[in-house]
Amino acid sequence: MNGCHTEPEAAGALPLPDARAGQLVELRRKGETSRRDLLAGAAAAAATATAAAGCDITSVDQFLQKHYSELTDEDKKQIFARLEAQVKERSGVTVKISDPQPIEGVTFGYALNLSICNGNRRCVEACARENNLPNHPEEMRYIRVLEVPNGAFELEKSDPYFEGEVPKSGKYYLPVQCHQCANPPCVRQCPCEATWKEPDGLIVVDYDWCIGCRYCQAACPYHARRFNYGAPTIEPDRINPNQAYLSNRIRPVGVIEKCTFCLQRTRVGRFPACLEACPTGARKFGDLNDPNGELRKILATKRVYVLKEDLGTIPHFFYFFA
Amino acid sequence: MSHLRSLDWRRGAIALAAAGLATSCTWEPRRGEPAEEKELVVTIEPRIPLLATYPCSSCHATRTPQPERHPLKEFHAVRTFDFSHGDDTFWCYQCHSIRNLDQLVTATGALVSFDEAQKLCTSCHGDKLDDWKRGMHGLIVGEWNGPRTKLSCPACHNPHHPRYPTIEPEKMPETIKPMTPFGAK
Repeated sequence: MNGCHTEPEAAGALPLPDARAGQLVELRRKGETSRRDLLAGAAAAAATATAAAGCDITSVDQFLQKHYSELTDEDKKQIFARLEAQVKERSGVTVKISDPQPIEGVTFGYALNLSICNGNRRCVEACARENNLPNHPEEMRYIRVLEVPNGAFELEKSDPYFEGEVPKSGKYYLPVQCHQCANPPCVRQCPCEATWKEPDGLIVVDYDWCIGCRYCQAACPYHARRFNYGAPTIEPDRINPNQAYLSNRIRPVGVIEKCTFCLQRTRVGRFPACLEACPTGARKFGDLNDPNGELRKILATKRVYVLKEDLGTIPHFFYFFA
Repeated sequence: MSHLRSLDWRRGAIALAAAGLATSCTWEPRRGEPAEEKELVVTIEPRIPLLATYPCSSCHATRTPQPERHPLKEFHAVRTFDFSHGDDTFWCYQCHSIRNLDQLVTATGALVSFDEAQKLCTSCHGDKLDDWKRGMHGLIVGEWNGPRTKLSCPACHNPHHPRYPTIEPEKMPETIKPMTPFGAK
C-alpha cells in the first residue's frame, strides 16, 4: 500500500470501511446530484486532502484506480473469443463476432412507404434469419406488420397475425420495429445502464449487462423490445455466422433484445436485411445527416409522419406516402 | 520538467493540425458530410440479359406486323399473358416499335432500348420518374453509402399488367404476445 490510501481523520464518526466513502457521503449531503459529478468531486477532494501527504491524484480514473476503465481492444478480443467458443461448443457452428464502430457524422434513419407496403412479411423473416432470432422456446420476431383497416388510426384495431393473400382490399399494412428514438424512453428506464444510444442514433443492448428486469420493454411505446423467457435455441443451419457484439450475437436466457437496424451490416455500408428482403421497395434506409441522401429528400418532399408523435420520443423511423 | 515537455508536444500537434487543415480545406467535405458522396456510383440493372426470348426479331423478322388489335396467335397465344395495362386503345405497338421489334418506342416516336425501359414508362408515368431518380421509389441493392444498383420499372412491375400481384405473406408466429393492447388479438 502506498501513502495515498491512508487518510486517518477524513471518515469522521461513520463506520465506513474506507475514508473515500466518507468523503462521498459528505459530498452527497452537500447536494451533489450526478454520480459523475460526485466522483469527480470526490477525486478533487481526495487530491486536496492528500496533497499534504505528497500524492498527486488528479483524475477520476486515478482516484478509482482504473476499476471502471474502458475495455481495451485486447480485452474485447478475449470476450469475443469466449463468446465464439461458447457458440462453437453449444451448436458446433463457427461464428465471427465483431464490434463495428459508429461511422463519424452519420445518423441512421429509416423511412417506410405505406403506399407501397403490401404486408408480405418478407422483412420479418429476413430479419429473423439475419439476427439469429430464436425459434425455441418462443419464436421471436422484431418486426410486426400490423394490418389496419383503411382510415383507422387506432392500433388496437390492427391485426399482427393476418393470413392469406395480401394486400387485402380495405386494409393497409404498418410494419413496426424499433424506432431508434432520439429521446428513447426505454434507455431512461434501465436501472443498470445496459441499454444506451450510440453516436449514430442506434439504441443497443449489452446482453451481458442486462439484468432482465424488462422495465425498458414496458416503457417502449412501439412494443419493439423482446425478452428471452427461456434459453434461446436456433437450429445450427439457421445461425448467421456474421455477428456483432451489440446486435445479432446469440443471446443468453433472461435478457432483452431488439432491432438495431442490423448494425453488423449497416456500419460497414450494407443495407439492413429487412430492406434487402423487401420485394416492393417500400423500405428506405440511409444517413439523416446527408443532405443529398434519399431520406432527406423523402422528409423534404413527401407526406411524412411518425408513430405516436405526441409522446415526444422523436423516432428515427418515418412513415411516408408516395 | 515533464509539464514543459508535454506542452511542447501539444504545441507541435496543434501546428501540425493547422498545417493539415490549411492544405485540406480546399477539397475535403465538411465534417458530418459523408466523404463517399462524390464517389457514389449508381448503375441501373440491365434488362436484356433477363429476357428469355430476346431478340424479338428472331421470330418477327419473318412475320408481318399487324398494327390493328387482333387475337394473338402462335407463341404469344401459347404463352398467354394477362394484358391489363391501359384501356382498349392500347396495343403492342404503343410501346414496341413497329419498325424495329428489338426496341421500344415512346409516344414521340423515339426508340428506347429494353435496358432503359424506365424512359418509356415515365413518358406517361412522369410523376414516378422524379421519385425513382432520387431513390425514393423502387428497389436499390448494394450499399447505402457506396456503389449501388437501381432496379428499373419492369424489375417489379410486369409491363403487361403493372399492378403489383397479391402474394402469400410469411407466417407470423403466434407466440409473440403483445404486452400492450396495441395490436392485441
